[in-house]
Amino acid sequence: MTEKVRSIIDIHLPERATGGDVWAQFRGVERIALELTQSYKYSLGKVSRFFMELENGRFLATRCAGCGKVYAPPRPLCPNCLAVADWVELSGQGVVKTYSVLHFSPGSNDDVEALETPYVLAYVLLDGADTLFPHLLKANPEQVRSGLRVRVAYSDEPVHHPIHLMHFLPVVERQRP
Amino acid sequence: MSVAPVVAAVGATPVASEHRGSNLRDLMTEAVLDCLADAGMDDLSAVEHGLTSYESDHFNLQMTLGAILHDTIGMIPKPNVRIEGGGATGALALRTAWAHIQSGLCDSILVYGCEKNGRGVSSQTANQLFALSADVDWEMMVGGSYTGFYAAMIRAHMEAFGTREEQFAHVAVRNRRNAAFNPIAQKPMDLSINDVMNSRPVADPYKLFDCSLLSDGAACLLLSTEAWAREHCPAFDRRAPVYFTATGCGSDTMRLGDRYPELTNFRAKRSAAAQAYAMANISDPMREIDVAELYDSYSGVEIQAVEDLGFVQRGQGGPSVADGIFDLDGELPVNTSGGLLGRGAPVGATGVLQAIEVVQQLWATADPRRQVAKARRALTDTHAGIASISVVNIFERRD
Repeated sequence: MTEKVRSIIDIHLPERATGGDVWAQFRGVERIALELTQSYKYSLGKVSRFFMELENGRFLATRCAGCGKVYAPPRPLCPNCLAVADWVELSGQGVVKTYSVLHFSPGSNDDVEALETPYVLAYVLLDGADTLFPHLLKANPEQVRSGLRVRVAYSDEPVHHPIHLMHFLPVVERQRP
Repeated sequence: MSVAPVVAAVGATPVASEHRGSNLRDLMTEAVLDCLADAGMDDLSAVEHGLTSYESDHFNLQMTLGAILHDTIGMIPKPNVRIEGGGATGALALRTAWAHIQSGLCDSILVYGCEKNGRGVSSQTANQLFALSADVDWEMMVGGSYTGFYAAMIRAHMEAFGTREEQFAHVAVRNRRNAAFNPIAQKPMDLSINDVMNSRPVADPYKLFDCSLLSDGAACLLLSTEAWAREHCPAFDRRAPVYFTATGCGSDTMRLGDRYPELTNFRAKRSAAAQAYAMANISDPMREIDVAELYDSYSGVEIQAVEDLGFVQRGQGGPSVADGIFDLDGELPVNTSGGLLGRGAPVGATGVLQAIEVVQQLWATADPRRQVAKARRALTDTHAGIASISVVNIFERRD
């Protein structure tokens, strides 16, 4: 009875109805495998310039024309003032404020699926910014701590989502001779 | 303001890692029939309004579940609305139902919630789908997951206040132990602090037993005016009336990083609590609330919650939890159901299940081993994401 359905996972038929079970006629269960794959024409919208400039090795943020707050990740509109923001360039250096060492990868897309565990998700206060920027910090988890100085590193490899054109690396302090 | 609505009746399925023999319609049917039996009603003909509570079109592989379930349980052609608010969905649904009654739009409304978050998909797919409720461009794509966001928050809490892993392990142990006294709980366990500390790392500092469960389940709550309940629910008189007296709701930025410099606690939860306390005339929640269900998506989140709900001062969550004041025999028992850690968390049903637990506590119909003596006033705390939406609901017994 199962050969005609290619997606069968399993079929469970109860051996015998138990007394008083109002669902006795409905206890046979078939499970099938279903897949759903979608792809999207996905606009990065008004913050597209941030992603385009990553290709040029430049790290952009936005500054509210009203209150001066600097948003990284960028926001085109300051939610506090409802003023349209201006693009500003940051050095790409900053400091880790908090982080987690992840021992599993949710595999959000092709690029992230390749993440080796454990990996570090760091929240970085970039110099000149007022918000924290979350991204991968490629470093030995043992050496990561809040307060660590890091910098944006840019990727030369082709990526799927342009956010992967960057990640963070620890700032290596120059050794004194 | 008019008199608060009453909880006329409740119903639920067991919470399980997988209800293989039931799809969502089946689970919802079982919970609704359970609620009908609790009400002593033969059918839903007298119920005026429906309200469907579910989060994910992706997990369930079905949009418009509101309409489908409304049809399935025989509520056609009555009005229906579907509520979604991430993890807070069930509590937001109840808050919305409260407003329906208070506005006079209807005198009775059936809130029915369900979800299959269990083993219908792999845990990796589950994490991906939940990550879609984060900011896709800026958080999900960089390897972020909710476990990671929560872990970064509790790390900040540890660094700011000296909160220790052993303290949040206490929550993981206690809530799973409470679950043993709840017949619908998914995974009661008798663990030691060391078992939690030695479980495998997931997102440092959170380990396996610090993490809540993925669950299948359904829950249903019939909310009405007291007059409607007395007229239509033959079983209503057998218990002291429990009123849904107050509700608060707050919000916060989606991304943790945008909350800087506050990384340790939940602003939305403080806001929701302040509204609910003002509505219920509560000034000292630690003394004035007798039992509470808190949103323990991760063990440390309960420590943050007891601070943001004003039970203890900020920074005191860790020591107070470890002292046992929120245990079953403590000053203010929380998560008597087992919480998300022990009872489980079918998202659309979770907030409804929390309400059902505290209502049963107020009715004094819980298993005696988890029943809190003389509970008069109860709170539920539910949030979405890392509290981008937070809902606090308050229930009171008056007899």
